[in-house]
Amino acid sequence: MSRGRTRLLRAAVTRLLSSLLVLWAAVTVVFVLSRASGDPVALLLPDDASADQVTQMKQTLGLDRPLPLQYLDFLGGLIHLDLGDSLVYKEPVTSLIIERIPATALLAATALLITVVVSFLAGSIGAMRRGTALDRVVMSGVLVGQSTPAFWVGILLVLLFGVTLRVLPAAGYGTPAHLILPATTLAIFSVAVVSRLLRSSLIEVMGQDHVRTARAKGASEARVLMGHSLRNASMPVITVLGLELGSLLGGAILTEQIFNWPGIGRLTIDAISARDFPLVQGTVVLFAVTFIVVNLLVDLSYAIIDPRVRSHA
Amino acid sequence: MSMTAPPKTTRRTALRLGAAGSLLGAVGLTAGCGSAADSEGTGALRIAQPSEPTGLDPHLESGLDGMNVLINIFDTLTMRDTKNELVPRLATHWEATDEHHWRFRLRKGVTFHNGEPFDARSVKFSIERLIDPDTGSTIVELRSVDHVEIIDDHTVDIVMAEPDPVIPEKVSLFGGVMLPADHFADVGAKGFAAHPIGTGPFRFVSWRKAQLLRLAAYADHWNGRPAFDELHFTAMPNPASALAGIQSDAVDLVSALDPEAALQLEGYKDVSLTTHPGIRMYFVVLDTEHEILKDARVRRALNHAVDVPLLISAVLNDSGREAATIVPREAFGYDPDVKPPKRDPGEARRLLADAGHADGLTLSFTASNKDQLVSQALAGMLEDVGVTLELEILEPGTFAERLASDDPSSLGSMYLTGSTGWTLDGEATMQSYIRSDRKRSRIRSTEADEMIDALEQTIDPDARLKTFRRMQEWLHDEAPFLFLYQADQNFASNKRIEWTPNVNGTLAMETAR
Repeated sequence: MSRGRTRLLRAAVTRLLSSLLVLWAAVTVVFVLSRASGDPVALLLPDDASADQVTQMKQTLGLDRPLPLQYLDFLGGLIHLDLGDSLVYKEPVTSLIIERIPATALLAATALLITVVVSFLAGSIGAMRRGTALDRVVMSGVLVGQSTPAFWVGILLVLLFGVTLRVLPAAGYGTPAHLILPATTLAIFSVAVVSRLLRSSLIEVMGQDHVRTARAKGASEARVLMGHSLRNASMPVITVLGLELGSLLGGAILTEQIFNWPGIGRLTIDAISARDFPLVQGTVVLFAVTFIVVNLLVDLSYAIIDPRVRSHA
Repeated sequence: MSMTAPPKTTRRTALRLGAAGSLLGAVGLTAGCGSAADSEGTGALRIAQPSEPTGLDPHLESGLDGMNVLINIFDTLTMRDTKNELVPRLATHWEATDEHHWRFRLRKGVTFHNGEPFDARSVKFSIERLIDPDTGSTIVELRSVDHVEIIDDHTVDIVMAEPDPVIPEKVSLFGGVMLPADHFADVGAKGFAAHPIGTGPFRFVSWRKAQLLRLAAYADHWNGRPAFDELHFTAMPNPASALAGIQSDAVDLVSALDPEAALQLEGYKDVSLTTHPGIRMYFVVLDTEHEILKDARVRRALNHAVDVPLLISAVLNDSGREAATIVPREAFGYDPDVKPPKRDPGEARRLLADAGHADGLTLSFTASNKDQLVSQALAGMLEDVGVTLELEILEPGTFAERLASDDPSSLGSMYLTGSTGWTLDGEATMQSYIRSDRKRSRIRSTEADEMIDALEQTIDPDARLKTFRRMQEWLHDEAPFLFLYQADQNFASNKRIEWTPNVNGTLAMETAR
């Protein structure tokens, strides 16, 4: 085995172990915090439940057992991908989560697509027409997007397109039309971040020698952009896109509330307000795993885009 | 189904426009919200409420939003009609044969949605399953029932471990749903919850969680087929989406609107706002063992200082009624002769000066953030008589948890709360808030405890009425609460639906036209 490959293997193993450590830390923090946040039995039982009924319910839910035991059970289950049963829905947490993944995945993927397309357009325009009125208009538009909170934009979009014009459904899930408003709302912030980053990254790359050489050889502006600049400029953008996917998932919590979207975000909010410990833990495991996987993918993509990373791995 | 002119732009047009504008088209994706598209042809009634059931096993569901769905699938032994009278449902007649036996005669010729006949065995199975600790039910009303005895096919005795005068009221909702014993034995608890079978006016069709729960009319219902062909329930936790839903014709009825949200709909065409009397009582529990509040003069002063009619008109947009005590006007035992305290800041200042607080005083006050506006208004009114409230406004879950806590000081010297005694017996709210051994109670009075015991265990209605009267006079004089109001229920609907709820506010849609 070559020295390079050994190094790569060692890097991969270290990476995997640190990912597991991150996952363990995340679920442990959530386990402790959710237990500290309150008592689900108080919320499950009606006003006039007797002390006996409270005890009975705690026993049924397994909440009367010592915390360390509950914690070990939880970790043990996690190894077998068993996240326990929801206290409120009385169904396995895994199946409750799996039911909701498609809706959130669809929303986040669409928002990511909008982010990529719009910010590559806006970023390129800004970089190629740097300092012109067009650049300023596009970039201030983007800045406004970054400065407005999603819940506000979402409500305005609902009012305009759902209530006043009645061309798009105000809330709900099911048809592509239902996807337009929430995905747009969700994408607005990411578009702002990504397009500003791409613009500055492009401007930097376009000042480099190889681009000047391309220009000197008489390449068109479009060729300079597509062939010589975009690829180099997209390295930092991809890192940020990876992080943005995380914030898209986080943003989905708000957006799903506004648009009544039946995804993980709404499930998480419901679980937290009901102090449904196993379900809260389950959604956090999902979020943590998603972050870890996305970060791994981002690192891998460097190797594909930039050959230098491959050889130095 | 009665339909007035449908609005010009329907949801269907909106869906078509949206779908046409999209490259993907609507292929195979319409199921979730296809509800709107079928509604004109088949008469579906689309209902939005804040949450959906947590499951469809009626014995495991103790939330009102869940019951709103289940009450259409399951019939109960008795029911509250729209005039709030307790009337026959699956039981045609009932009486207490002695302190420990409630006899119910059952309706004949009733069938479950799967054809199984309803009879005494169904009652025995349903009630005994509910009270079995292994069921893990969160419904607590029938705790004093021991077992059910079958007298004949259509007669049962509910046998009590302890006497309970309000059993017929308690089987009008959560405790009284009837399940098919044989079918349940075949499919088991999980199978039953996945596809519930009742005798109710609507049968279960499908449920896509967080999206749509569909019920269809049961043609063979003993009381005749309901007017609407289908009921579509959607959970809309965010009031803004419910409002947008009714404005854009995506739903026909929005329940449980708070007064603020209802205000936004005023003057909106095609949407009508209806306010119906409700029985949810709001009051501030005063800690009668607190060093300042143990003085009844201070507690009376607080009651004089708060202008409840002004609070109702200014904060609640008039959707509430002033309350004399914690007993709702519609409840059995309500005494109209007990009047609300006089609203008189001068009297309040005098009483406070008498109690040695001429220079003012500071008290802590806890509430859920759902009641933030009311809390702030109360603080303002009390400030005028020299009482400063230190407000602690909590997230609802945290508040509920402190309500159930063993430590009474976790809610400060007083807390604002609401309570719904859906059995419509005056005693419903008293148990939890007055009896000295209850966690929510801040009263330690043997006199009050004795009255509650008498109310709980006496069957004779006249004797109970006398005790109710004494209790309300006691509440008025002792003022262990800051008595506030009885909240109305706000609904928004379009012109497609004519329906009157009872004071419980359950969405039993059998009577909707």
